[in-house]
Amino acid sequence: MITFKIVTPNGVTYEDDIEKVTIPTGDGEITVLEGHVPLVSTLSAGEILVHKNGQIVHLAVSTGILEIRPNSEVYLLADTSERAEDIDVGRAEAAKARAEELMKQKDALADVDFARIQAMIERETARIGVSKRYRDVK
Amino acid sequence: MAVNAKAVKRRIKSVTNTKKMTKAMEMISAVKMRKAVETVQHTRLYARLGRELMEHLAHLDEPNVPLLEQRPVQKVLAIVISSNRGQCGSFNANLFKKTKLLFEDKENLGAYRNELGVDEKSNGQFDIDIIAVGKKSVLFGKKYGYNVIAAFDELSERPSYEDIRPIANMAIEGFSAKTYDKVVIAFTEFQSSLVQEAKVRQLLPFSAKELEKMTQKLPTEETNTKEGAYPIEGYLFEPDIDVIVEEVLPRLVEIQLYQGILESSASEHSARMVAMKNASENAGEMIDELNLTYNKARQAAITQEIAEIAGGAAALE
Repeated sequence: MITFKIVTPNGVTYEDDIEKVTIPTGDGEITVLEGHVPLVSTLSAGEILVHKNGQIVHLAVSTGILEIRPNSEVYLLADTSERAEDIDVGRAEAAKARAEELMKQKDALADVDFARIQAMIERETARIGVSKRYRDVK
Repeated sequence: MAVNAKAVKRRIKSVTNTKKMTKAMEMISAVKMRKAVETVQHTRLYARLGRELMEHLAHLDEPNVPLLEQRPVQKVLAIVISSNRGQCGSFNANLFKKTKLLFEDKENLGAYRNELGVDEKSNGQFDIDIIAVGKKSVLFGKKYGYNVIAAFDELSERPSYEDIRPIANMAIEGFSAKTYDKVVIAFTEFQSSLVQEAKVRQLLPFSAKELEKMTQKLPTEETNTKEGAYPIEGYLFEPDIDVIVEEVLPRLVEIQLYQGILESSASEHSARMVAMKNASENAGEMIDELNLTYNKARQAAITQEIAEIAGGAAALE
């Protein structure tokens, strides 16, 4: 069993003992099983699959840090995270459209804004993707 | 006694209305305070995990990132967190008193650790700029002639993490660009609903100790991670330590700032709650007194009337 926690500045969004989890990192997707080697890595916006008792829980996360501790404790320090069923697709799509609109006027933007909007688009894309897949499975 | 009973009656009514208002404000503040405290507690685990990670990384080697760099202080940026509204007792006054005191103690404010790891006092020759959070701190900056470079006076009652990012970004950018050599934050620490203390803490260069001081306050409900051996040497880092430190640090700075703002918010509400409680009590006392005056005036009027009637009857006999 893995002690798994997703922690955001707004509190713990997911907390459980699980068998297996798939996490998008900066260097690509990884799957963590029990007894994984201690690891610290960056988290990129995307989908997390939590396996427990043959059930799969879908979650969307945005950027952050991933830490795997020696005794199979996995902590995700994410900026935001939601369960697939909680995602409001309409709002996520609207947010993405807004961000893309901003991106089009990028000439006027500073690098920092550019990076921020890029991150926002990634985050919303991840949320929409997770939610859609969840709905398809259902 | 020529007290106008009607005027007293009117006065009683007006004070009763005031009392109702202060009572309502007191109750609203109590709810808001509770919510703010709750939010602070939610951020705590995030802050702790991030801090632990940083501490363990620091064991490995001295990470060489801009946000940790100690350098002689030539300019200081202070983020002063006050309330937007008044009616909260001495909340803002205490904060500004403390802040002013510290700003004047330039030798310590400008202290930094030199390359040899020795604390060195500053010669006190530097300027202070202010980022004002809350309307009252804008006034504070103006009054004492500090340069207010930005004012955030439209934060909501319960600011979200996203709301405070621009503030954190401003501080981080200013520090990275070497415009400022030190960033401090002045806020009010929430100790209990009766005790709040104005505090000034260093935000940048980042120090794990300072963050720990901030996150350890308030009764904690969760300290359940297993303590013990933590062999960081066996860790893998993907892609490498520097990238990770660069990811974590700004977040910790944000969290520290977020906590300062939330604590200030909790303090503000509890200060207002206490102030309003006092006001309600005073209004109650005042009503009692006025009632007494009113009754006396009424009694006097009746006595006088009887005396007049008796006098009139006696004159007829």
